[in-house]
Amino acid sequence: MHEVQQRGAAIVRYETPGSLESAMRLLAEAGPRARLVAGGTDLLLELQRGVRPDVDTLIDITRIPGLGDITESDSVINLGPLVTHNQALASDLIVDRALPLAQSAWEVGSPQLRNRATIAGNLVTASPANDTISALHALQAVVTVVSVRGERTIPLVDLYHGVRRSAIEADEILTAITFRGLEDRERGIFVKLGLRRAQAISVVHVSIVLGFDGALVATARIALGSVAPTIIDAPAATDYLVGRTLSDDVITEAGRIAAGEPTPIDDLRATARYRTDLIEVLVQRGLRALRDRTERSRWPVRPPLLTTVHGRPDAGAAVGDLTHSDTDLIHATINGKAISAPNGASKTLLDWLRDDADGASSGSLTGTKEGCAEGECGACTVYLDGAAVMSCLVPAAQAHGSVVTTVEGLANGSLHPIQDAFVDQGAVQCGFCIPGFLMSGAKLLEEIPNPTPDQTRQGMAGNLCRCTGYYKIIAAVDQAAAVLTDGGVR
Amino acid sequence: MTVGAARLRVDAPGKVTGATHYPSDLKPTDALAAKVVFSDKPHARMLAMDLSEAEAVPGVVAIFTAADVPVNEYGLTMFDQPAMVGVGGTGRSDVPSDVSRWEADQVAIVVAETEAVAHDAAERIAIEWEDLPVLADIDAALDSSTLIHPENGQESNVYTHLKIRKGDVAAGWEAADVVIEGTYRVPHQEHAYLQPEAAVSYVDEEGRVTVEIAGQWAHEDQEQIAHALDLPSDQVRVIYPAIGGAFGGREDMSLQIVMALASWKLHARGEHRPLRTVWSREESIVGHHKRHRGVIHTRWGATKDGKIMVVEADGYLDAGAYNYTTNKVLGNMHLCVGGPYEIPNARIDSRAVYTNTVPGGAFRGFGAPQGGFAAESQMNKLAATLDVDPLELRLLNCVKEGSIGITQTMMPEGVSLPTVLERCREEAGWGEPSQAPPFTPFQSVPPAESAIRSGRGVACSYKNVGFSFGFPEKCEAKIELDGRDDIESVKLFYAGADVGQGGHTAWSQMAAEAVGVDPDRVEGVFSDTASSGDSGSASASRLTWMSGNAILGAAEEAQKAWLDGDRPAIGQFRFVPPPTDPLDPDTGYAVPNFAYGYVAEAVDVAVDIETGHIQVSDVVCAVDVGRAINPNLVEGQIEGAVVQAYGYVVTENLRVEEGRILNPRFSTYLIPGILDIPDRVHNVVVEVPDPRGPWGARGMAEMPLIPLAPAIVGALHDATGVWFDEFPLTPGRVLAKLREAGAS
Repeated sequence: MHEVQQRGAAIVRYETPGSLESAMRLLAEAGPRARLVAGGTDLLLELQRGVRPDVDTLIDITRIPGLGDITESDSVINLGPLVTHNQALASDLIVDRALPLAQSAWEVGSPQLRNRATIAGNLVTASPANDTISALHALQAVVTVVSVRGERTIPLVDLYHGVRRSAIEADEILTAITFRGLEDRERGIFVKLGLRRAQAISVVHVSIVLGFDGALVATARIALGSVAPTIIDAPAATDYLVGRTLSDDVITEAGRIAAGEPTPIDDLRATARYRTDLIEVLVQRGLRALRDRTERSRWPVRPPLLTTVHGRPDAGAAVGDLTHSDTDLIHATINGKAISAPNGASKTLLDWLRDDADGASSGSLTGTKEGCAEGECGACTVYLDGAAVMSCLVPAAQAHGSVVTTVEGLANGSLHPIQDAFVDQGAVQCGFCIPGFLMSGAKLLEEIPNPTPDQTRQGMAGNLCRCTGYYKIIAAVDQAAAVLTDGGVR
Repeated sequence: MTVGAARLRVDAPGKVTGATHYPSDLKPTDALAAKVVFSDKPHARMLAMDLSEAEAVPGVVAIFTAADVPVNEYGLTMFDQPAMVGVGGTGRSDVPSDVSRWEADQVAIVVAETEAVAHDAAERIAIEWEDLPVLADIDAALDSSTLIHPENGQESNVYTHLKIRKGDVAAGWEAADVVIEGTYRVPHQEHAYLQPEAAVSYVDEEGRVTVEIAGQWAHEDQEQIAHALDLPSDQVRVIYPAIGGAFGGREDMSLQIVMALASWKLHARGEHRPLRTVWSREESIVGHHKRHRGVIHTRWGATKDGKIMVVEADGYLDAGAYNYTTNKVLGNMHLCVGGPYEIPNARIDSRAVYTNTVPGGAFRGFGAPQGGFAAESQMNKLAATLDVDPLELRLLNCVKEGSIGITQTMMPEGVSLPTVLERCREEAGWGEPSQAPPFTPFQSVPPAESAIRSGRGVACSYKNVGFSFGFPEKCEAKIELDGRDDIESVKLFYAGADVGQGGHTAWSQMAAEAVGVDPDRVEGVFSDTASSGDSGSASASRLTWMSGNAILGAAEEAQKAWLDGDRPAIGQFRFVPPPTDPLDPDTGYAVPNFAYGYVAEAVDVAVDIETGHIQVSDVVCAVDVGRAINPNLVEGQIEGAVVQAYGYVVTENLRVEEGRILNPRFSTYLIPGILDIPDRVHNVVVEVPDPRGPWGARGMAEMPLIPLAPAIVGALHDATGVWFDEFPLTPGRVLAKLREAGAS
């Protein structure tokens, strides 16, 4: 069979433990047949693409209380394993004390993806292109892992052995990411080069943290991503920087030195030569921003998250252990209606909505579309417990007990103003992407009633359209915003 | 007035509520699952195929292969592809069916109770192959003694060669003061319509084998199915539900023939349940054709005053494994490689070459973007060499009313390129310095202003409207008027495909205007071969022009019948435009087309010379649409085409090696997102009536795509002094070239 026609792993059991102890026990019992799932955005792709052909069980840790918090004590910041990219970038603490992490989270995927993808998951996937790893590397983070065998901590610098290979054992659960917040004398920045301005995997990225003694660089850490099998340091460049002031010449030279450190490879995204050239530029521009104190100048005042609720409605409530096979029913509230349907263990939320969740009377919920099945196009955008998500990357069983809204639920008697606006502006051509755009747009306006042009575009950055060129879509969001804020329709 | 009004789209309400059904949304409750199996062999001969293990999988209903196809051949303009590759006969075809010439040649269609079973069975089909040399690109195919289609009798893998021999080339060179020469390389482009291929098939209540699918020409699908299945056309029915984009990519068959075959065969066995199949994005990208990649070597001679004296060109398109529409695309490139200019002397040779890669085929612009890139880059270089304004130089050379075209015959009446260029100049403020603001390629750091250069560029084009080169062009429409004394309702029966461009809306508007009623009174019955005559395809920027003329004819007939007292009064009309000619094989002499559209674009571009990123801030697109039937739809076509062109020029980069597509995903084949697009597209809708167009309308949907590549390259040269004869302009390519030229 052609590679694109091969099938991935078939999940037969979906476990939702209610406690960390249950999760550890399940993981120990299932061994390599099981994978943990939180956001699932990387894992579902790995399963579909046959990267993990032996996995038939998923253990969902999202109902375990207390794992989704960002806390600080004695200047040490702690991220729970369920902290999402959106949570991190929306945290004042992270933006104030760990700017590179906020910036790296902001440049991952799209709003819908960031509502699901966890920072811990990004670390566990262990790709050298993963943006938050280099930020945490430069912040000298340490991870805590637990298993039935006990708990241990691993500094991030020791975590990785190679591409997608880490020191975390199959029975271990990452429970915390900790690092010291930046002090007043320290400044940091994350700079990324992608081939598109959103939804782009890094060609190269760099995280820089400098400690200053007046104008002198007292300490320096530079982490480079996507240029070696793991995130790496640039020790020669940091050694050079320490004890110097950031003159133009010093910045130029530091970039040159950093570019000489790794030996990157050619791949689909770029040549080795281009990567080497760009390390130099990224390091130089990052250093210049730190010198000029412009590292925050492009940080959005209010980055659109496409979520209006943080966490599940039942978050924190103790729930027992749940288990689903395909014969067990998933119970969810869809567009205000209680729905129960089987086949949730093996399917994505998208497929379950389209194939199973219609109920006998209401007709199929085929308004939600599949354009790519990898979280790139946004045509499958729905709301899961108040957050816009890519339903192609959500395990259906995760919707158990949840509230789901699809495009069919957007109109409430009359059309939602954004639906009217898309009709009025001619923002619809072939229309296949439109349900996803409407879901993103309506959520954006619920979150930010009067978005700036930049917020509108950032809010829609997870949706692809091939017909319209986007201009009339932007005009339609503007129209809907005007209608809604003028004391409008709904 | 209804023609000329920015009427809201009739299909939009269903599309914004999720109620509209695309092919993948059709889910008959008792449907069987079908799975089409790709060969996975860019070039190999099938020696044996064993289905026994696959057929033994519980739940398998049937597996059909080449041996089941009565006439095992397919092709829109020449039969050169087996409907399925396999052993056991070609039916009544002469096309050898035992060779896979491309990684996605189809070898079987498995029908089963569920998708999972169909998949299991597909994996168990055992095939023995003898690998053949893979001719991976144009150079490999030109150099190799291996022939991909030895059955065609050609001595090489070049199978179509078009010529133009005009005037006296030697005299042209004699008169030339300057010579401009270049070798231009153009890349593949993937259509990336958001809706991957999907189909439902069954035998309908009248015994017709029926396929519901997204396509561009229902009657051509019907013909191709009927041909392969050896059925009369009226025993085949094709219905288009909502179509999730096309852009040329649904012009050729994907699932039509095999799905019809399976349903027809099962029906004969007493199995009447419908079949359903849906392709993944990856299957779509691997499994359907692309815009052709190619290379053009060209040399122009001009006087010191800027008059073009002579053009010589040798162009090659990579046809891939099968012709699809390559011979026609090549023809269009052939007409465009000298640009829309008066050229007294020319020698142009254009060749199509078979390779073992994905077939090249129709894609918005249909050869004009490839030819136009070479021509307009040459024009920009000529202007730079002579140090004259590139827009002025175009005005000096461009075709005008009464001009003799490159094929030695007069351009069809209504040549408006001078007007279009003037409007572009005016609206762009051409002559002023570039306004492109500094930008940063990195979200987290401010622009590095010292590294930013900016510039302006311009390009123009023409593009035929309608089928070319002697194809028997026609378009049918039927109108039914009902009421007593006054017309109360109008029914329009029309097969044309609304691929997203808004056809349903525009046709209803034209029918309303033709009959003289409010457009709300018009009900459209569209895209079903059982209820409408042949409209021709939704391609070649032809459908507005052709449908309008057909609708005008049908309305006139219906009104006559109405006056005769018929209720309902029915008018049926087949519009036939003026004939066209194939190119003379030795000289290219012909009247190749009956109508053209004209476009000019000016762009402002900034480039970061340390990273190679470019940012297009403004695109001014002046396009002559003759008459905007619906201005909002026209704007949608301009903006959409410009952004699609932007992807072609900047972000999209299909990687094909050894006959295999390496990046068949949206995560690796990058179409522009909302953050990537030009800051502004300024739609300049020019309305110089086409004397033969309905209400003066011209076709326009392809034109805005064509000049963007050379316009951006012209702007980059203005900014940096460096020419780019190859794209996509990925940052890596731009930086490497700037470094090579010492400009970074």
